[in-house]
Amino acid sequence: MSYERPADLARALALRAEGGRVVLAGGTDLLAATRARELRGPVLDVTGVAEMQGVTLSAEGLRLGGAASWTAVARAPLPPACAGLQAAARVVGSTQIQNRGTVAGNLVNASPAADSVPPLLTLDAEVELVSLRGTRRLALGAFLLGPRRTALAADELLVAVHVPAAALAGQGAFEKLGARAHLVISIGMAAARLVVAGGRVVSAALAVGACSPVAQRLGAVEAALVGRPLAELGEALDPAAAAAALSPIDDVRADAGYRRAVAPELLRRALLACAPAPETAL
Amino acid sequence: MNDGTGSREPTSPGRRRFLISTALSGAAPMMGRIGPAEAAETGAPPAVTPGAMPTMAISLTVNGRTHRLDLDPRKTLLDGLREEIGLTGVKKGCDHGQCGACTVLIDGRRELSCLTLAAAAEGREVVTVEGLAAADGTLHPMQQAFIDHDALQCGYCTPGQILSAIGCVQEGHAETADDIREYMSGNICRCAAYPNIVAAVADARARMEG
Ligand SMILES: Cc1cc2nc3c(=O)[nH]c(=O)nc-3n(C[C@H](O)[C@H](O)[C@H](O)COP(=O)(O)OP(=O)(O)OC[C@H]3O[C@@H](n4cnc5c(N)ncnc54)[C@H](O)[C@@H]3O)c2cc1C
Ligand code: FES
Ligand code: FES
Repeated sequence: MSYERPADLARALALRAEGGRVVLAGGTDLLAATRARELRGPVLDVTGVAEMQGVTLSAEGLRLGGAASWTAVARAPLPPACAGLQAAARVVGSTQIQNRGTVAGNLVNASPAADSVPPLLTLDAEVELVSLRGTRRLALGAFLLGPRRTALAADELLVAVHVPAAALAGQGAFEKLGARAHLVISIGMAAARLVVAGGRVVSAALAVGACSPVAQRLGAVEAALVGRPLAELGEALDPAAAAAALSPIDDVRADAGYRRAVAPELLRRALLACAPAPETAL
Repeated sequence: MNDGTGSREPTSPGRRRFLISTALSGAAPMMGRIGPAEAAETGAPPAVTPGAMPTMAISLTVNGRTHRLDLDPRKTLLDGLREEIGLTGVKKGCDHGQCGACTVLIDGRRELSCLTLAAAAEGREVVTVEGLAAADGTLHPMQQAFIDHDALQCGYCTPGQILSAIGCVQEGHAETADDIREYMSGNICRCAAYPNIVAAVADARARMEG
């Protein structure tokens, strides 16, 4: 059959292993880019697979099913650490795009401007890749190899995204810059997650997207924040160090110089948005 | 709102046909809908795409009616609704997910029919603008509000705006004018009837919830 929408993972993996099928989730990348008629081969629609549904919290952490839509992520009751991911979920395209588009599709499509990536990087997310050969887990940073390139094998499906319980601590935030407020691909975006105790930074996770071939964590900038008092948070972030870690390009949306200038400011805003209110009153 | 640009534009026969069909599809259930059987009788050549795949039998439930279709499995729901079922109220603006003109309700949620395969809508309830009015012709409160507030000029975006607005109200995202602007941002109006659209949605929300 040239279109299949299996109800369970075993069937989906068997179809995937036959080879030649185009994996389809929400279709908001695939059909927008390809024009449906030009789809290369028969279709494997994964949106009905039972094992790939839902957004669930457990003692192990957070699990986003591989078929979970952006809307499901935005609406789930999640801890404050996920506020950045949920903010991203609400600004991807439009409500119609969010109702169909999936987080897994966003990851596999591997656009440098994919909005899910910076918040998921700050949450130390891992992807669960499954084939008939078995299951493996990769850190998100190891899964994304370059623009439109991932470590997904031809017989694998991205069955779930996992956030370990330890990364659900603290407060998250997300800042997106586009040419207009809505329905726009990011010029740049930043995500932050901050763990605070006694008025000081215990740990910080920072990531920037659309300013390098793959969105990335800024380890050196994060390390420099540890132990700093919250009151100094704004100044503690070194714009030069942040810009130095990036390798933006010129494209239709903005040039590299502009991106290098705005990325540190997006980071600063995301960071301040993570801090408990009184200390950050400007 | 009317700045007169419409009257300066030459009205081609194609444009005239399109205006009539928009008005009809927006206001009344389609009469004499062309079903797949009748379409075959008209002798229209089947759309053959290079590299076409074997067709696939699917059944689609649209506006409460079930249609059995034989389709290229790669056909979008948008093309299926327009070309196979004859529901031309659903509009093709960009065919790339960017304008919202093709918005339909699928199992009550607003989705883009240009980014949905027809085959993927099998077993779900699809609602287009033609399915909104009651059997006696009474318009849905959202349709009536768009008329009352003059929330359109050319009308091309209107069916998508109306279906999207119904979704927006049902999601609880139409409580304030700012909410409406934000959550209706997937529906572009080239005529920029936005202020009247926001007023219509706010008014219809009151009528739908009242
Ligand atoms: C108008 C418009 C606006 C948009 N705005 C944004 C935006 O603001 N930010 C943003 O980041 N993106 C945006 N996008 C892109 C797109 O909506 C997202 O990337 C979305 O998350 C893709 O998910 P999907 O389920 O629709 O993927 P699909 O299109 O179904 O699939 C994308 C790719 O992933 C593969 N795939 C999907 N699921 C799996 C799986 N479980 N296992 C293995 N492979 C899989 C497919 O084979 C395909 O290669 C926009 C798109 C449109 C059309
Ligand atoms: S035609 Fe589908 S969004 Fe424009
Ligand atoms: S009324 Fe003309 S596009 Fe909206």
